[in-house]
Amino acid sequence: MSIIEASHLSFGYSEDEVIVDLSFEVKQGSFLAIAGPNGAGKTTLLNLLCGTLAPKSGVIRIDAAAIESYTAETLAQKVAVVRQEFVPIFGFTVAETVTMARTLYFGPLGFEREADRQIANDALEATDTAQFASRALASLSSGERQRVFIARALAQDTAILLLDEPTNFLDLKHQVGIYDVLKAAQLEAGKTIIAVTHDINVAAQYCDEVLLLGADSKCHVGKTEDVFSPEQIRKVFGVEVLAGKIGQEEFFLPLGKFAKNSGQISSQQEKL
Amino acid sequence: MEELLTAKKLGVRIVSALVILAVVMLVCSLMGTERISLKAVFSGAGSQATINPDYEIFVQVRLPRIILACIVGAALACSGVVFQALLRNPLADPYILGISSGAGLGAIIAVLSGLNWTFWGRSPVAVFAFTGALATVWLVWLIGRRTARSHVTGLLLAGVVVNAFFSAVIMFLTSVAKGEQVYATIFWLMGNMTEEDFLVLWMGAGCVAAGMVALFYISPQLNALSFGEDEARSIGVNISKTRTIAFGVAALVTAVAVSLSGLVGFVGLLVPHTVRLVFGPDHRQLLPLSGIAGAIFLVTADTLARIVVAPAQLPVGVITAIGGGPFFLILLVKYTRRVGWVSQ
Repeated sequence: MSIIEASHLSFGYSEDEVIVDLSFEVKQGSFLAIAGPNGAGKTTLLNLLCGTLAPKSGVIRIDAAAIESYTAETLAQKVAVVRQEFVPIFGFTVAETVTMARTLYFGPLGFEREADRQIANDALEATDTAQFASRALASLSSGERQRVFIARALAQDTAILLLDEPTNFLDLKHQVGIYDVLKAAQLEAGKTIIAVTHDINVAAQYCDEVLLLGADSKCHVGKTEDVFSPEQIRKVFGVEVLAGKIGQEEFFLPLGKFAKNSGQISSQQEKL
Repeated sequence: MEELLTAKKLGVRIVSALVILAVVMLVCSLMGTERISLKAVFSGAGSQATINPDYEIFVQVRLPRIILACIVGAALACSGVVFQALLRNPLADPYILGISSGAGLGAIIAVLSGLNWTFWGRSPVAVFAFTGALATVWLVWLIGRRTARSHVTGLLLAGVVVNAFFSAVIMFLTSVAKGEQVYATIFWLMGNMTEEDFLVLWMGAGCVAAGMVALFYISPQLNALSFGEDEARSIGVNISKTRTIAFGVAALVTAVAVSLSGLVGFVGLLVPHTVRLVFGPDHRQLLPLSGIAGAIFLVTADTLARIVVAPAQLPVGVITAIGGGPFFLILLVKYTRRVGWVSQ
């Protein structure tokens, strides 16, 4: 069953359209990666899906209802968002930040109920951030802070989780750590997860489906192994890649012309 | 997560702060050029023949002024909190969106035109200042909305430009005014307390108290808004409703304060930051505690203004800046590392 349906979406910030006639569906409980080169409209698409932007034409349905029919309150009960480039101010602590996700459900005096605290606590545990609950957000490393924002999105207790480049600027360990948290949320809590990512290799290991946005506004949606092929990556990103395979999943190493093993690309192509 | 704020914890802190405020008010009301004794005050008004001077001074002179300082201090501190949250800018204060210059312009026009009437116990200066403040903030709001639909930068820039323009007009009018008119204007611009009628005080107190309740009601939303509009919207905050209530109430409350006492500087910047540094940024706590702390601060400052150069009096704005500045810097150095306001 599809939890998100987008049909014939178009959007542009000016006359030029970033997204042209895009249609896709996201199944409930699946993990979708949105990939593509810079400027292909990945973040724009995410902002359309969470209602921050309104499409020029086309329809987005969430749980079979058009996104415009939701208010901020009702949409926040379905969709949680983790954005990138966040600068915290005023020194909120981790616990305060995560509990804030429950704002909609606060009691009449504006305080969280016991159930809200429990949910926030579970989110902190799930993201392994409970140990710095009382620390100020600004005192954390970027990897820790990103986990806190994922905890906050989890605490919102929604069926859909949208993330904009959640592993940006993170080292290998933290990248994998974030994806493990997300995968657990998908498998254990049945959440539908949509993440914008630049790392197609990590995405291939964790995601069920991928939406590859090309700079030419063409889009390819499908299972990761169908969409991520060497030809497709070459075409969309405009870069030569060396391809290999682990299990069902292919992986790709982008190599420019001065890279040590760039010669291997042509020999790989000849073999095919 | 024991460290999270609970309604009970907040209640205890508010009551404690109110007790401190009551003590400060009592002590300050006994201080001044004339020594009065509390015992004599409580012996009552006396009869027609034997007026009790201690009681008269306490009720007619000291009390109104102390209540006035409470109202103004609470109003400025609360609206400082709100503007800092809405504009996501630690430098924001109640006057940032043009209220100071708008009120100042209104006041100087009233002084120059030499009007002489009262409206519900208010002088033309107060009425013009109130109107000027609200009109200006409305103008800035309109311009800000036209320049940037969702970003606060347009609003801030509009506020700064309108402030600069009106300040220039004020300087022009001051330079063509007569001596005593200039004196009255400058005193008003520095922020100045006088003894007001109880009717005026109760009206002011009612407005400010109602404003504080409304702001407390949206304080969880203000928490979310501190993280930016998109963040707040995605956790379910109705941005336009919250912003409209917050801006409207903060502007109104500031206009009330300005019309009562002129431009008392620094309270709206210093008190919210001090409370935030000590108790944290949660607006459910920050708003009420800043209101009470603002009252305590301004009552103390005004008492100093009355007694430092007695029998003459200083404008209270001088005391808030001279006394508050160094105190705030000490707090900033001591606490900022711990709370880490901005990481980058």
